Amino acid sequence: MLQVRNIEKYYGNRNNITKALDRVSFDVADGEFIAIMGASGSGKTTLLNCISTIDTISAGDILLDGESIAELPSGELARFRREKLGFVFQDFNLLDTLTLEENIGLALALNHAAPMEVQKQVRQTAASLGIVDVLGKFPYQVSGGQKQRAACARAMVAGQSLLLADEPTGALDSTASKNLLEIMTQMNQDMGATILMVTHDAYSASYAGRVLFLKDGRLFNELLRGNRSRSVFYHEILDVLALLGGDISDVI
Amino acid sequence: MTLSKLSLRNAKRQAGDYMIYFVTVVMVCAMLYAFNCLVFSKEIHNLSGMLDNMSLMIVLASIVVIFIVGWLVSYTTGFMLSRRSRELGTYLLIGLENKQVARLFFLENLSVGGVALLFGIPLGNLVYQALRAILLTMFSEPYHFRYDFSLKAIGLTLVYCAAIYFFALFRSRKRIRRMKIYDLIYFERQNEEELVKRSKTRKTMFASSLVFGIVGTLLLMTASKLIIGILGAGCIIVFIYSFFTSFSSGVPAYFDRKPERKYQGQNLMIFRTLTAKLASMGIVMATVALLITATLLTEGAGMVFNGIFQGRLEKNAFDLLFVSDQEDHTNRCLESMREQLPLASFWQYKLYQGADDSLVAYLEETAGYYRFSYNHDYNAALLMAYSDYAALREMLGLPAAKLEPEQYIIHCMPYLEEPLRQWNEPLSLDGNVLSKGEIYTEQFAQNRWNGNGHQFLLIVPDEVCVTRPILRFAVAAMTEYNITAEQFERLDQSLYERTADGVHLMVNDWDYLYSKAANLRDTAVWSAMSVFPLFYLALILIMTAAAILTVQQLSETGRYRRQFELLRKLGMDNQEMRRALFRQFAIYYLMPVIPPVLIAIPFILDMCNAVEPGTMVGVNSPPMILTVSLGLFFLIYLLYIVIAYGNMKRTVFYFQQN
Repeated sequence: MLQVRNIEKYYGNRNNITKALDRVSFDVADGEFIAIMGASGSGKTTLLNCISTIDTISAGDILLDGESIAELPSGELARFRREKLGFVFQDFNLLDTLTLEENIGLALALNHAAPMEVQKQVRQTAASLGIVDVLGKFPYQVSGGQKQRAACARAMVAGQSLLLADEPTGALDSTASKNLLEIMTQMNQDMGATILMVTHDAYSASYAGRVLFLKDGRLFNELLRGNRSRSVFYHEILDVLALLGGDISDVI
Repeated sequence: MTLSKLSLRNAKRQAGDYMIYFVTVVMVCAMLYAFNCLVFSKEIHNLSGMLDNMSLMIVLASIVVIFIVGWLVSYTTGFMLSRRSRELGTYLLIGLENKQVARLFFLENLSVGGVALLFGIPLGNLVYQALRAILLTMFSEPYHFRYDFSLKAIGLTLVYCAAIYFFALFRSRKRIRRMKIYDLIYFERQNEEELVKRSKTRKTMFASSLVFGIVGTLLLMTASKLIIGILGAGCIIVFIYSFFTSFSSGVPAYFDRKPERKYQGQNLMIFRTLTAKLASMGIVMATVALLITATLLTEGAGMVFNGIFQGRLEKNAFDLLFVSDQEDHTNRCLESMREQLPLASFWQYKLYQGADDSLVAYLEETAGYYRFSYNHDYNAALLMAYSDYAALREMLGLPAAKLEPEQYIIHCMPYLEEPLRQWNEPLSLDGNVLSKGEIYTEQFAQNRWNGNGHQFLLIVPDEVCVTRPILRFAVAAMTEYNITAEQFERLDQSLYERTADGVHLMVNDWDYLYSKAANLRDTAVWSAMSVFPLFYLALILIMTAAAILTVQQLSETGRYRRQFELLRKLGMDNQEMRRALFRQFAIYYLMPVIPPVLIAIPFILDMCNAVEPGTMVGVNSPPMILTVSLGLFFLIYLLYIVIAYGNMKRTVFYFQQN
């Protein structure tokens, strides 16, 4: 579904260049749940921003469903984002002035869905995420977990094919985090959502089927969960993280 | 860091955040100073003794300005306080006392006010120069630019500014002293609720508000007594407040009933942004609408007064004119004129009584003509002999008028020309029957209560006049050069012969002396006394209204920016985002303008029509007055909108510039 081919990203001017991404390549298959891990400044969010077309790449190519997003004109990019991508952010990014129902419906309204259909679809998605009771409330009236579930609902209500999550559990307590991750797993397994999640938390990453590790802008390791239990996978992730703290040459 | 340093730094930052408000306060200081200069200027007062009244009018207008701007400052500081609640809460959190925070806020705002005053005074001097230039031109005096400061004017401006600021700041100081950390920190996130929750109450309120609006406008239009005027104004105030509170509460209720509507197009964004600050928004919108109504009415009144005075100026025909019912008065007046003034030409003539009042009745019916209730003589279509008419026309430099035998000519004010063309009745005078001839409409001293007829005059062959009773004796004259108002005053005084007990011997009820010079001066004085203060008030009112809307809108920049940033991520395209922002702006700024415009249009037109017919013509015709009043208002209003929109677009769509 998603193919990332040798992408590079530079920041700064001629005299002072920072390389944020360095020849990163990987594929995401349909229905996969992938976590991208790395320390602060390793390029995780930059990678996510490039895939989500909010930022541009300096070299390489990104293909989604065979379509190169690097070559899309800006008008097409907007359409691409609203039709194919769903976002979940660390700070929820819900609009304070809209109720949860309206926040979720916003994604459909942007896609010019028939107004009569919007409420029905919002209710359906909200029901699967267990937030029907709070749909009429404003974001400041509900808990962090409920807000994040609303954000998840917004990310998939319009039938987006790829869900991009940037530290989705970053602002949640452990119970709410667990709930959210289970919901994301449910979205992945039961509803077939393809998820790409950026996180620095091993526990969150252990819910994914595959974990990619970034260090200094380069892809540095990859772990597949396979048939192992989540707790075994969690420990494996921790092991890699321990290595990640050291020099790259120690690993390769 | 000391407290004063912190407040100075905050004030600097605040000036950037609230630039439009700051510029408005600077402009207000400038206006206050400029008008205070007029109050204290000896040069201006020397123009005419009557200008003392202008000072009184300006001081009264300034007091109204203090209240309006006091409210603006009070509202804006209160608003800043709520916007910065998180920051102020943090100060309390790190251990500052409420008292200290209150002092910090007080000092910041005072320094913003102080800087505004500092900019305002030099700018005010420029405004004063403009006012001086207009006034001197009106009094036909030479104008030279002079950059001078009046200490008295600065003093009075300081007093006014202190009144404006201290009232507002003491209020906010009291508020801060009572604030709790929790309230401060969590203040910003909440949306406000509808003021009027019950749908039935809302509907009743909305319907009755419209009734109040119509009744208020009608009362104001027909106000012949002060009490009716006050009642009318009261109704308008009730209308505006109940309209906006019921309307703003009704919008969310409407969408709750028809949820599918909100997902149509950009409705969701627009209506939610507008209703987020619902309760305060309704009240603010209503107050702004009230200010705009006052602006339009004040401006309209100013334009109408200006029209009346301009009308008087344009109707100057002769340099001097004296009319009396006694021949020897006219003779003695002419004698004095010739003694005291350089006459180029003069003409003595008589005005004769017409046949009946049928023509007056006809004009009353067709042209809104006013019949004299006190000067009955003038109601029977006054007559003038053709030879006198020809001589007067020559004196005025007008082409000769032709009178065929057995005909009469009409000379009237332009607005009566059309109805008089339709009048084809022959004129019967003591057995002579005359048919209607030409109609002339040049300025001919006809708009006076005792001039060459009241707005119209019939010119008949000399021999026809002989048998008619003489009503007035008159003398008209032109001078070799423009005489001054003082020269005229001396002539006027010399015509009064007083006995020891002070009774006027010569001037009786029907004696009337008029000069172009005195007319110019009177017009200038009346304009200065009424038009100047009215426009001064109108300008302050509109600036206050626009500043409040703009401050409120620009303070939402952060929220808008976050909103559009998210929408962009969610895939809204640029064009659609711009359209959504534009529509939000348009609705926001249009809402408080619609009711005032609907009230002002009939009111201004009615004011124009209340003036004697024939006065409000040409550039001062009612449609023109309405266009200029609305045009001036929208010009200033648009200026604020364009600045706010530009600023908002730049900040919100910052990502498009990279």
